[in-house]
Amino acid sequence: MKAELVEIILQLCAAQNPSLPRPVLVEQRGEAQLYGRGGPLDSLGLVSLIVEVEAAVEDRFGQSVVLADERALSQHRSPFRTVDALADYIVAMLAERSVPPTP
Amino acid sequence: MHVDFLLERFAAHADADAVIWRGQSCSYRSLLERYRYWWSRLEEQHVRPGSVVSLAADFSPNAITLLLALIERGCIVVPLTTAMAAQKPEFLETAEVEWCVQLDERDEAHWQRTGRQATHALLRRLADPGHPGLVLFSSGSTGRSKAAVHDLRGLLEKFKVPRAARRAIAFLLYDHIGGINTLFYQLSNGGCVVTVPERSPAAVLHAIATHRVDLLPTSPTFLRLILLSRAYEQYDLSSLKLVTYGTEPMPESTLRKFHERFPRVELLQTYGLSELGILRSKSRSSDSLWVRLGGEGFATRIVNGLLEVKAQSAMLGYLNAPSPFTEDGWFRTGDAVEVDGEWLRILGRRSEMINVGGEKVYPAEVESVIQEIPGVEDVVVVGEPNAITGNLVVARVKLAGGETVANFRPRLRAFCAARLPRFKIPQKVELLAESSTGERFKRIRKANP
Repeated sequence: MKAELVEIILQLCAAQNPSLPRPVLVEQRGEAQLYGRGGPLDSLGLVSLIVEVEAAVEDRFGQSVVLADERALSQHRSPFRTVDALADYIVAMLAERSVPPTP
Repeated sequence: MHVDFLLERFAAHADADAVIWRGQSCSYRSLLERYRYWWSRLEEQHVRPGSVVSLAADFSPNAITLLLALIERGCIVVPLTTAMAAQKPEFLETAEVEWCVQLDERDEAHWQRTGRQATHALLRRLADPGHPGLVLFSSGSTGRSKAAVHDLRGLLEKFKVPRAARRAIAFLLYDHIGGINTLFYQLSNGGCVVTVPERSPAAVLHAIATHRVDLLPTSPTFLRLILLSRAYEQYDLSSLKLVTYGTEPMPESTLRKFHERFPRVELLQTYGLSELGILRSKSRSSDSLWVRLGGEGFATRIVNGLLEVKAQSAMLGYLNAPSPFTEDGWFRTGDAVEVDGEWLRILGRRSEMINVGGEKVYPAEVESVIQEIPGVEDVVVVGEPNAITGNLVVARVKLAGGETVANFRPRLRAFCAARLPRFKIPQKVELLAESSTGERFKRIRKANP
């Protein structure tokens, strides 16, 4: 699942790159930086990307996720720093969803 | 007494067309006769001065003359139209209506007493001294309809100054301050009100061509519909001299396109509110969104970027909401404006402004750009809360030919990139669930169901 998510995120980054002041270096694959500490995205670029990733996750996995919320922003290590980190964060979120509620 | 100045002008223009209703002309002579009939009828019907009377009608000859007779008698009139039928019970109750009058298809009146007795302090303030009143309901696009109570003597005052007679489409209805304004303007100048069977581009343009109309008072949304429909290709619109537009911010792209299509038609922005009446206005030019507002009886000022107006013709207050006036009588319009000397540019409602990471975005500006993208049939821009930037800009679009959002998104980005700063470019694009055009031809910005 993660590999597929990385692919989806990279594709969306590539599509957005022409309209960004600094492009995401998609050739670095999962290690490509996104937001914060030298990452190319500013907050507007991040918001646009996340909106599209959310839509793509819903299309592909049939689950709606909210990636930008207080929880994401308060993580010790930001889930938005690299493509890998974002993919991991989504995998964890979807896994959490699939655990049946404790009786 | 209250309408004497109108009756004098009716007599002076006795043979002229006063109203075209259902394709039939009615002269001022005929209006005078009808007025006298209704005047005596009110006496027979025991409609006392100060009564609150709802009048469900359109601009038919009897609706117009009964309205005048009610004004002369010192009644408080609540104009209603069938378009707002669903809210009628609520309106009758809020306005404490004592008499309901309904004019039917044949323009015949049906009277009914409601058994209510109006006691609201604002209504008593008019009824006790016998001052004619008017109760207008806001469209309620942002919540419950508010009922504005006017002393009609104030609203009528400005019509005593003679101005050019026009043949005008009655586009804004009987229950709208813009419709009331069109009606009294024409009646006080020997002009003609042309009613239309429906407010579609074809019906309105057909009426303009058939009845040689020279004035179309309308909304930016309707001008956009005219351009989209291309219905203008089928009619001779050479009589049209002036188009006035108001009720919502004009998208720059609509104004430019309309001006290109009709270069000889003067375009004038108007500004009015159910709470204040219509201000006199002057557009800097036909293709300019800059406008000068004011005129006799109106003063304007800008406080924190928002327009405030003080008007002699201002309402007394709302029947169902607290007074919106400052202590010294200024009305806070809630409209954000840009200022250039004496000229103003209306950006939109401050309440509809989208704050994206501290930057201000007004939906009208973004809609104006998106509307120009080929294949976009309709667009509404709204804000949506977002944890990162506070809000994000969402564009809801109707696309031609079944184009998908996924396909459209990169086109939108590329088109907007050259025309808008990045924070104004919608971060999210969705399909528009229903038409953005409301009953009063204003763009409705609300959450998708």
